[in-house]
Amino acid sequence: MVTFNDAVADLLGVDGFSPLVEFIVGIVGASIVVSVMLTIIGISAVWLKRKWNARLGDRIAVNRIGPAGLMVMPADALKLFSKEVVVPEDVDRIGYKLAPMLAAATVLAAFAFIPFGSGLQIADPETGLIFALAFASLSAVPVVMAGYSSKNKYSFLGFEREVAQAIAYEIPLVVSALAVVPLVAVFADTSAPLRMSNVVTAQQGPLLGVTGLPIPNWFIFAQPVAAVLFFVSILAEFSRNPFDLPEAGSELVAGYLTEYGGVNFVLLFLAEFAAIYFGGALFTALFLGGGSGPVLPAVVWFLGKTFVFYLVVQWFRATIPRVRIDQLLEFGWKYLLELTFLNLLLTAGILWVVL
Amino acid sequence: MSVVTRRHEELHETIEDELPDAILDFDEHHNAPAVVANPSRVDDVVRILKQNGYNHLSSVSAVEYDNRYESVYHLRRITDDREDFDEINVVAPADPDEPAVETVSDVFKGANWHEREAYDLMGIRYDNHPDMRRILLPETWKGHPLRDEYDVDQPQYTTLEAHANPIEERYEVENDAALDTMFLNIGPHHPATHGVLHLKTVLDGEVVVDVDPDIGYLHRCEEYLCERLDYKYQIMPYPDRWDYVSAGMLNEMAYARCIEDLAEIDVPEYAQVIRVLAQELSRIAAHMLAVGTFALDIYGELNVIFMYAFKDREIVQEMLEDLSGQRLMFNYLRLGGVAYDLPEPRDEWFGKIRGFLDDLPGKMDEYRSLLEGNELLRKRAEGTGILEPETAKEYGCTGPVLRGSGVGYDVREVDPYGYYDELDWDVVTYDGCDNLSRVLVRLGEVEESARLVEQCVDILESWDGDREIQSRVPRSITPPAETENYTAVEGAKGELGIHIVSDGTEKPHRFKIRSPCFSNLAVFSELAEGEYLADMIATLGSLDLVFGEVDR
Repeated sequence: MVTFNDAVADLLGVDGFSPLVEFIVGIVGASIVVSVMLTIIGISAVWLKRKWNARLGDRIAVNRIGPAGLMVMPADALKLFSKEVVVPEDVDRIGYKLAPMLAAATVLAAFAFIPFGSGLQIADPETGLIFALAFASLSAVPVVMAGYSSKNKYSFLGFEREVAQAIAYEIPLVVSALAVVPLVAVFADTSAPLRMSNVVTAQQGPLLGVTGLPIPNWFIFAQPVAAVLFFVSILAEFSRNPFDLPEAGSELVAGYLTEYGGVNFVLLFLAEFAAIYFGGALFTALFLGGGSGPVLPAVVWFLGKTFVFYLVVQWFRATIPRVRIDQLLEFGWKYLLELTFLNLLLTAGILWVVL
Repeated sequence: MSVVTRRHEELHETIEDELPDAILDFDEHHNAPAVVANPSRVDDVVRILKQNGYNHLSSVSAVEYDNRYESVYHLRRITDDREDFDEINVVAPADPDEPAVETVSDVFKGANWHEREAYDLMGIRYDNHPDMRRILLPETWKGHPLRDEYDVDQPQYTTLEAHANPIEERYEVENDAALDTMFLNIGPHHPATHGVLHLKTVLDGEVVVDVDPDIGYLHRCEEYLCERLDYKYQIMPYPDRWDYVSAGMLNEMAYARCIEDLAEIDVPEYAQVIRVLAQELSRIAAHMLAVGTFALDIYGELNVIFMYAFKDREIVQEMLEDLSGQRLMFNYLRLGGVAYDLPEPRDEWFGKIRGFLDDLPGKMDEYRSLLEGNELLRKRAEGTGILEPETAKEYGCTGPVLRGSGVGYDVREVDPYGYYDELDWDVVTYDGCDNLSRVLVRLGEVEESARLVEQCVDILESWDGDREIQSRVPRSITPPAETENYTAVEGAKGELGIHIVSDGTEKPHRFKIRSPCFSNLAVFSELAEGEYLADMIATLGSLDLVFGEVDR
């Protein structure tokens, strides 16, 4: 696996770029990734979410503007961007305005570490996984900023919940992700198992062949427990149902989003959806073999898997009720934390015995 | 001599023996005997009656006369034995200039809100009342609007300060620990309040320390309006506007029952069957909505339970539309019958109903698996919002809320009206006392209603007699002067009672609506305190409040 810059260099038949060209090519790569993600997010947030949820609830949803309501996307975008930006009088203006930008920026920056496959990866540092998880954790900061600076009690309660939740699920998230690292070291035979491209490379071969049909060496098969734990943690980390307490529509009106409108709201909203995709991308890279798959190019497989993750998250939204804050924390601290550590130790133990 | 009559005579003696100076007189109301009590001793009289088994205070109604005010208490006896059902009224006449009556809120906690309402609208003071504030109108309101002397044209000012919160101060000065609490206004515009409820909430972290429901945002003077309209036609459209989410038929029946009883109007059997059919369809629609919105409160998203419930409600709604020509404001019942015969072609309509009834068991299984089979939902709904049966009776809770606490009080069963006695059905109770039980009661009642509907359809399909939809009703209905009647029907939310006082004209002198939601909301603070914020919202959803009915 190579980064975007290497891929471009390969394509042009040059050995390397000067620092300036490196920078420019990097920017181009980042723009491609961001555009692709924004397009997907735009489609999902405005149109697919409605259609899919409607399908689950026996409804029809948008069908008036354009074929199958598809034109609702430009219409909504136009509506949202032309709305007046109302800043409430008593808010902390700096925090209030910075939070949406920070929210969108952090989560989009995090995509730099994702190995989309087909050479589409902006950065591939040796500690890529840790970087990616750190960016995931960073998503709590803008929520806190938004909630605290809004000077609204609902926002306040929302960000308080976010803090409690982020702390409780941070460790399980990281530890469950780390459970794949020893496997990476073994399968990819590398001394840099935290490098995201290595994580994907390790999952390319067959795990074992059953009657000629090879089961791919995706870590969801090698590490099923870690996959489930990681999935739960990522839902909680990004406040998706059933852990959507910081927003909690029926209790806190809109939680930390209560005081936001216009383009500021759009940015926060976008960050939320981007976070789902980022979670999906992490899950795909760690447990679903990244872009591995037959026939189609790797990047298509990768985005397809991320898409399925998104649909599953939305399916949860329609069918699973929100947990209460005490239940959420109890589950996080009492069960998830212990289980993830147990799983990590077991993995290490088994590998130690086997090897 | 029947059991009830004998009991009344014994009671008569007991009260006279124990409280000779508290009793002024004995009177006879249309629905039950009345004890006229000394206004300063009325609490003792009610207490004696409570000790003698009258354990349910339906309503407190204030009436104005030329020479006095009256505070009328309607008491009922709820036991497991249907034959044992009985009513008694207590009347406390009060001075016309400075009307004051001793409070009974220390006997029945539910009287607290009813007395506040009587004070608010009629200006009767209740001595020793723990919380003698206005309840429907703002604190700064001038005058008491149901009084004859009330000047509707006088300007009223409601300042913002009027809404400054009394609880906040109390909590901030009482002790240091209370300083950590946060005061939160939930509503009047909030997604979970199902309308316009304002909950003044004090939170300690996420735990509710104190909650004071503030109502009256949807007060539309329904009682005042009904007192200025004639019995025969003009009042009937208004009941549809009390519990406006598809329970209109049940509300109309509440009014129809009270006035038909008072004016002795007969209803032909054919019309009675149609009435039951209409009412039970209404109940199905209303309960479907209740189940759906409860799920909405727990999920906070447009979830499948809500959507399925709404879809099924829509089917029922269409049948009601076929029947009455209206979706929500039916105005279908008439005194002495109903407005129209069944829609033609009848077979097609019956086919529609039968189709729905055939599908229903499968749908109910699905609801049950969605509600009961969902581990997370059980975790949220089980063991939260605990309402002990004793507390529920104390506050005058009725309907699915009371039946979810294991008390099988259903007006249709204990005090049958219309055609219910001829039909075969059961009262649904669950004794979990929690949010889930209350919702499961509603699901069970949908099934029972479906049974009733099926029987009605059977009867109507094979009906070969005269299809008389209305009896002959006099041109103007004038119940005798100085008579009064309190009757109730089982509305979608519980005992929906009407208290009419006649003055011999064709308009009521006093028209009091006993709303089940009002009493069910009164108990809310008991349920919510000590719960988590999220559970408080779920509890609010499980009480199934409709603010058109709370505020009237």
